[in-house]
Amino acid sequence: MDDDSRNPPADSYTNPTAAAAPTSIRPTTTTTEDTSSSRRRLGRAEWPTIDGPLGLSHEDSLPYAQRFFKLGFLCLPFLWAVNCFYFWPVLRHPNSHHSHPDLRRYLFGSAIGFLLFTAILSSWALTFGIGGERLFGHVWQELVMYNVADKYGLTGWM
Amino acid sequence: MEENPRPRTILETCGEEIIRIVTPVSICMLSVVILVSILNGGSSSSGDLPISSMATIAYTENSSDSIWDKLKGALLNSLVFVAVVTAVTFLLVLLFYLGCTKFLKYYMGFSAFLVLGFMGGEISLLLIQSFSFPVDCITFAIVLFNFTVVGVLAVFMSKMALFVTQAYLVVIGVLVAYWFTLLPEWTTWVLLVAMALYDLAAVLLPGGPLRLLVELAMSREEDIPALVYEARPVINDSGPSGGAVQRRVWREGRGRPVMNENEGIRSNTRTVLASGENERDYVNAEEGRADELAVPLIQHVNIRMNSTEDNVPSDDLVLEGIGLGSSGAIKLGLGDFIFYSVLVGRAAMYDYMTVYACYLAIIAGLGITLMLLAFYRKALPALPVSILLGVLFYLLTRLLLEVFVVQCSMNLLMF
Repeated sequence: MDDDSRNPPADSYTNPTAAAAPTSIRPTTTTTEDTSSSRRRLGRAEWPTIDGPLGLSHEDSLPYAQRFFKLGFLCLPFLWAVNCFYFWPVLRHPNSHHSHPDLRRYLFGSAIGFLLFTAILSSWALTFGIGGERLFGHVWQELVMYNVADKYGLTGWM
Repeated sequence: MEENPRPRTILETCGEEIIRIVTPVSICMLSVVILVSILNGGSSSSGDLPISSMATIAYTENSSDSIWDKLKGALLNSLVFVAVVTAVTFLLVLLFYLGCTKFLKYYMGFSAFLVLGFMGGEISLLLIQSFSFPVDCITFAIVLFNFTVVGVLAVFMSKMALFVTQAYLVVIGVLVAYWFTLLPEWTTWVLLVAMALYDLAAVLLPGGPLRLLVELAMSREEDIPALVYEARPVINDSGPSGGAVQRRVWREGRGRPVMNENEGIRSNTRTVLASGENERDYVNAEEGRADELAVPLIQHVNIRMNSTEDNVPSDDLVLEGIGLGSSGAIKLGLGDFIFYSVLVGRAAMYDYMTVYACYLAIIAGLGITLMLLAFYRKALPALPVSILLGVLFYLLTRLLLEVFVVQCSMNLLMF
């Protein structure tokens, strides 16, 4: 606020704006602590994670996203989904200057991988469920879960 | 020159925080009530369940026994259970004192794996069977595997999406609580009261294991590796601090118990006591893990579930307590979630009227505990007030209110 003290009368009109700038950076307090609304006010992605100030910083995000991306290849698409969910602000504003380009690559990879895996798995599950015995014949009875559970006694522990 | 931010009303600050802890507790209770209604709907109040676990080691309830016998048996069971929980908690304190924090963390992760994988798998299988849902084993295996692994990571890693961690903690609470509702009726109620009294003693008495744990953690400035549900802190609008979260740490100097979470560590008694039950061991382990997960206080409570048909004792150490985290968020142990849900689940096995009464009693008890927390600024047990109020309301509803409401409805006075 040095300029304010130097030019008090001339800045009387700019003071509110100058003073408003730091206050506009304060995060909004919403029940979900969604920082996207505050970012909308700012127009920039201040925090890379959906938790805002409680989440990771920009520096820590990269190894985190990389680890999740690599672990997701162990037949764990849910991990990719969690990765995308956690770094949702970066996915929404991919052209912001705050995020690392590698981070964006990992997130897009995770998103594409999750969508692909879900498409394949859901098409198989829907075919199995809707097709039923008409489509699969005898094999359907062998594959359906409640028969498998009965056969191996999986619910007998409780 | 800054524009004065609109002063936050007490409804926004305190109310927001209370809502953030009451919502997950309510979701947990609702889920357990739904599970109980769906899965136990057939055999409603049959107390002859063939499970044997630590909690029924002394006496297996038979519905044809007299009331006095049932009471004696239930007391014996609860005593054994509380003794095991105490022993495991002291073991936990010893391990923490010796600095085996990594081992405890791995144990927690392992418990989470057992609960989510095996208990979660079993309950979803029961649901699939009850609805005849046409899902095939490959899809089921992949979904369960994903669910379990992400859950273990959520419990294990410190920096994970807060929503995902909270959701998984609630799911773990639901699974363990459902398992507890399978115990015989008298045993469950006496066990609840016994755990409430144990919690009171363990947290407030100078020699109590939970108090020792909290003081150890405070003196070392470490976090207890336990399962604790931490609500999001309410961020105040203060301009110049930018995005920093305001810290409201209620520390009253070193050596005094911090407000932060009372972590209850439930050790898997199975792990400790389990004799070589080969195929049941891992089931026990699941139970054990639950112990670590849930801290009935605002700390971690590890609940171990023993679900085996053999007499494998599983100790569930649950630590219960409520406290404040370092960022000012309220922390509630998972054990509290579990025992609240067990109470409501048991009430659901009788009728929905008791569910409403017990729910209100538990929420009122939780509110009272939060007020005491704000007043005393110490780690407090979250079980006693709620459980005692809940049991009282259950008895009053079942004995007095039900007769009144049924008579009114039959005479078309009130529906």
